[in-house]
Amino acid sequence: MKFDRRSFLKAFSTLGLALLPGKSHAIPDYRNDKNFPKEYVQNRDRPGFFIRSANPFLGVEIDNWGLVVGGKVEKPLAFGYEDLFGFKMHSQTSRLKCVECWSAKAKWEGFQFADLVERVKPHPSAKYVNLKSADSYYESFLLEELLRPRVLFVLQMNGSPLSKDHGYPLRLIAPFKYGYKNIKYITQIEFTDSRSRNYWANHGPYSVDGTIQPGIDHPLDYRKKPLPINGGEVFHPFDKRPDEG
Amino acid sequence: MRFFLFVAIFIVCSVSLACNSEEKVSQLEVVVPPGVTVPEGMVYIPAGDFIMGHRDDSRTLLGKTIHTEAFLIDRFEMSREKYASFKTDYFFDRSKGDFPVINITYASAEAYCRSSGGRLPTEAEWEKAARGIDDRKWPWRNFYQHPNNGFSGFLPEPVNKRSEWISPYGVYGMGHNVWEWIADDYLYPGQARAERGKFKVIRGGLTQTHTSVKFTPVYFRNWMEPTASYPFLGFRCARSIE
Repeated sequence: MKFDRRSFLKAFSTLGLALLPGKSHAIPDYRNDKNFPKEYVQNRDRPGFFIRSANPFLGVEIDNWGLVVGGKVEKPLAFGYEDLFGFKMHSQTSRLKCVECWSAKAKWEGFQFADLVERVKPHPSAKYVNLKSADSYYESFLLEELLRPRVLFVLQMNGSPLSKDHGYPLRLIAPFKYGYKNIKYITQIEFTDSRSRNYWANHGPYSVDGTIQPGIDHPLDYRKKPLPINGGEVFHPFDKRPDEG
Repeated sequence: MRFFLFVAIFIVCSVSLACNSEEKVSQLEVVVPPGVTVPEGMVYIPAGDFIMGHRDDSRTLLGKTIHTEAFLIDRFEMSREKYASFKTDYFFDRSKGDFPVINITYASAEAYCRSSGGRLPTEAEWEKAARGIDDRKWPWRNFYQHPNNGFSGFLPEPVNKRSEWISPYGVYGMGHNVWEWIADDYLYPGQARAERGKFKVIRGGLTQTHTSVKFTPVYFRNWMEPTASYPFLGFRCARSIE
């Protein structure tokens, strides 16, 4: 009998999330160490799109990567990378707006959460969703928030698979939330009946909710000049809105 | 010597006034005409002129004098508990029933107001209830720093918490807590044609930078797609005097 990674993941999903191996223990923690290896993902102010990472990270080895979906659902599932391309793909151009005040725009392609929900069938009590990543990061959302049409589980950016810097193989894009909510390197999706805190609420001054507030944005594609924003997803006068095609 | 003493006392008094955000807001005397009943939880705003907008903000009425008829407006932003009594499937944390209702579209807000015999306030009504009849910038008149603690993220509060930040008509929550849906479309001179009629005005919330939270002036206009629902956006109702 052939027992490859995918078979393992599928068998694994039937056991539920409780038996998930703790991947985070294997991740070197460089948060308080400036001498981390150069090949690690780190904070870089790259022209056009800054890179931010809570913990310097080597990136995902795709043969060791899998997505496990469980918690309060009827049908826990697990996916390999190639399985995710079985979902209907949607694309959109939207901004990632950082709490540091800058924003950057890209074309994102991925699947909608509603398609995944249909497969795993959450219990009525599952009002919240926790997401965990391969780099020890974690986020939490209201289920309703992830079901919004502009929220994507993203596999491609600007026409190419996500790069290591941007969360390969799978990241979230929720354009009405600050960048720190847009978790990269997703490995686990768990439906729950109570809200959990997120990484930055536990480690810094940022809210669990993370909805973009009215204020000022400094878009990188506008030479960081200050522009007013009204709250929620950021659209500047030179951005196309979804209903403008 | 007396002069220096006077100056010292003046400075101390000025600083203490400027720093004391708990001083009482001076209230306008309002006489409710015979035959007008003011429902519990609403405030009567008399007919008359007031100053609307600010001369330096071209998207406002630039400080023109505007007349409104008398109207009623909710003293508090709509609470979650009160809204849930109307819409029983509204999901909220039961321990925060007196917090402002959030994640509400324009249509949902309007439906609530109509069900209770009212409507959403117009911009002129909202601004008059917030600033009274002088040209003040803040409902409570003096400038204060918002007492946030450097936390970046919206911090809603119970709708009746801040009696030190009421308007001269005794209306709470105008310039802090949640933004509020307004009946009017967001329009201004020189607006791109494609934008006209697309957004509704929202008023009276907070703006934020990286780790700071700021009050918004009484004339500050924000805008939102009517289908949007966010955790910083709620409403209150108004009513015409028949």
